[in-house]
Amino acid sequence: MFIYFTRRLLYLIPMLLGISFLIYLGLELTPGDILSYLLPPEAIADMKPEELAAMREALGLNDPFIIRYIYWLGGILQGDFGYSLASGVPISQLVLERVPATLELSVAALLFSTFLGVILGSISALRRGSLLDNSLTIFGMIGVSIPEFIFGLSALVIFALQLEWLPVGKRLMPGYDSYWDHMPHLVMPAMVLGLIMTAGVMRYTRSSMLDSLNKEFIRTARSKGIPEWRINFIHGLRVALIPVVVLIGFRLPMLIGGTVIIEQVFQWPGIGNLFVNAVRGQNYPLVMMISFLSVTAVLFASFLIDLLTALLDPRIKLE
Amino acid sequence: MSADQKVLSVKNLKTYIYVNNRCNKALDGVSFDVYRGKTLCIVGESGCGKSITASSITQLLPKLSRIESGEIIYHSEKGDICIDQLERNGPEMRALRGAEISMIFQDPMTALNPVYRIGAQISEGLKYHSKNTLAQLKQISIELLQQMGIPLAAQRVEDYSHQFSGGMRQRAMIAMAMSCKPKILIADEPTTALDVTIQAQIFELIDELKQRHNTAVILITHDMGVVAELADHVAVMYMGNIVEQGTIDDVLRRPAHPYTEALLKSIPILGKGKQQQIIPIQGSTPDPYQRPKGCQFEPRCPYATEQCQIFPDSQPISGTHEALCWHSEKVLSHA
Repeated sequence: MFIYFTRRLLYLIPMLLGISFLIYLGLELTPGDILSYLLPPEAIADMKPEELAAMREALGLNDPFIIRYIYWLGGILQGDFGYSLASGVPISQLVLERVPATLELSVAALLFSTFLGVILGSISALRRGSLLDNSLTIFGMIGVSIPEFIFGLSALVIFALQLEWLPVGKRLMPGYDSYWDHMPHLVMPAMVLGLIMTAGVMRYTRSSMLDSLNKEFIRTARSKGIPEWRINFIHGLRVALIPVVVLIGFRLPMLIGGTVIIEQVFQWPGIGNLFVNAVRGQNYPLVMMISFLSVTAVLFASFLIDLLTALLDPRIKLE
Repeated sequence: MSADQKVLSVKNLKTYIYVNNRCNKALDGVSFDVYRGKTLCIVGESGCGKSITASSITQLLPKLSRIESGEIIYHSEKGDICIDQLERNGPEMRALRGAEISMIFQDPMTALNPVYRIGAQISEGLKYHSKNTLAQLKQISIELLQQMGIPLAAQRVEDYSHQFSGGMRQRAMIAMAMSCKPKILIADEPTTALDVTIQAQIFELIDELKQRHNTAVILITHDMGVVAELADHVAVMYMGNIVEQGTIDDVLRRPAHPYTEALLKSIPILGKGKQQQIIPIQGSTPDPYQRPKGCQFEPRCPYATEQCQIFPDSQPISGTHEALCWHSEKVLSHA
């Protein structure tokens, strides 16, 4: 098992290298001169062509593409993530400031949607065809199809503006900086993101559970004379969970992408917000770094999911 | 304790299955008795109601089916229990399942849960029907696996079902079924999914356990060789009825129902060579939704007459032998 996972981890290295190359290539191919992002237009107009050429040379912009890529990659490996074009602040610092907020939001939404989705999905499967099952199905359809920003904005209007139960957005108010003070700020974005994901988890759990409840080992379990809850949950749900865990694993990238919109709607100071601002400001080193870090996070998440499914399903061979 | 102590009586049992608003009379008046320490074999072709009979006894029926009428009486040590009156998955029914009446299913590949260890699955029923500590339960599962003839049982209880071969899985299933020392063991075609070489071993094991624990066995099969080898009593089923039942000698040597007779003639016998005459049964089983009016076998029966348009009464042949046919005398003399 240890060997399997070590090898699985080693596979990540070529994948990350390939992806970093693609990201660098993608930005190389986007039109526009880097100097025009760096300097205000008036400054460029004032400069002599020789000065501009010297600056290019100094910045290494005249080196071949591959050499620049290797420098960039070497920097990352040494922990030098580059600097933001907008503020000159090191990217590592910018990202580190934002990571806790994004993690907080996505972990809260993930936990919420997983627990609620699995519970509602299994109840739905057990009460198949009942009023409850049908209403949950309708709820699920709405949840899957409603765009996040509409859902988020409606929640804002209802709970923050009309009812005034929850703060309008942002993560912290000036003067309140203890950890628990920002919990009320977390509730709405986490619920909106979580509810949208719950719908999918619920539908998937329902069908997976229905499938496993029709398996013969359920009849075997019933023939032992054990209580129904044990048949349904210890036997039925336990087996049904394996594909659900895989689904949640596939959801992780969506979670990182999904927070972009939610973070905008709720002015949540996370990575998604930073990313949107970076794209708008044509802050290309920052865009590149955030893309690269997101991909890394997704790859590690999928590695974790592999580990988890292997633990859940003894049939998965670990050689 | 008399030799013929009844443990289970089924009287005029009717179980109907409802599919797409249509009613399939899967069991249409089935009666038989099961005796302590004896094996009853139920034979018949696919779809004749063998498995529904078995699952009616433990009420492990499909959702859209119902015991319409009739009685299933379990003669327990504490008095008779009408199984048909019990709530399907209620506590009384659960107290019987596994503990008093247990089942072995057709396909051991799918009948075991893939994510739990064999040992835990073997002792799971016992956990609810007795008061044993976890350590005791584990010890019992090891002993059971050993009795089933699985080598290195102490290690194998830690395995998962996918690490077992087909034959071993069925042994584990039997260990599971025998864990609470039930009075009745129902085996629903226990070897259909197994290799021929393993089949004999499994039957031998079931027979040995029957003798050791004086368990009554209901064995569902379509293998006449197995019937001849293991059965004390035989019930032949056709289209939801037991068309003939009796002791093994009665049914196999002196068949009194045309279907039994035809069934026996259609089986090739090993060693008789190419010259033997195998006579297939003419026609095919009728659509269960468009049954013949009278005798269900009438359209395929060489003895059929006008009288067969009326559903036959059970004709006693001898004290132990009966057939559901107007012409049983003729069939008897023919054989």
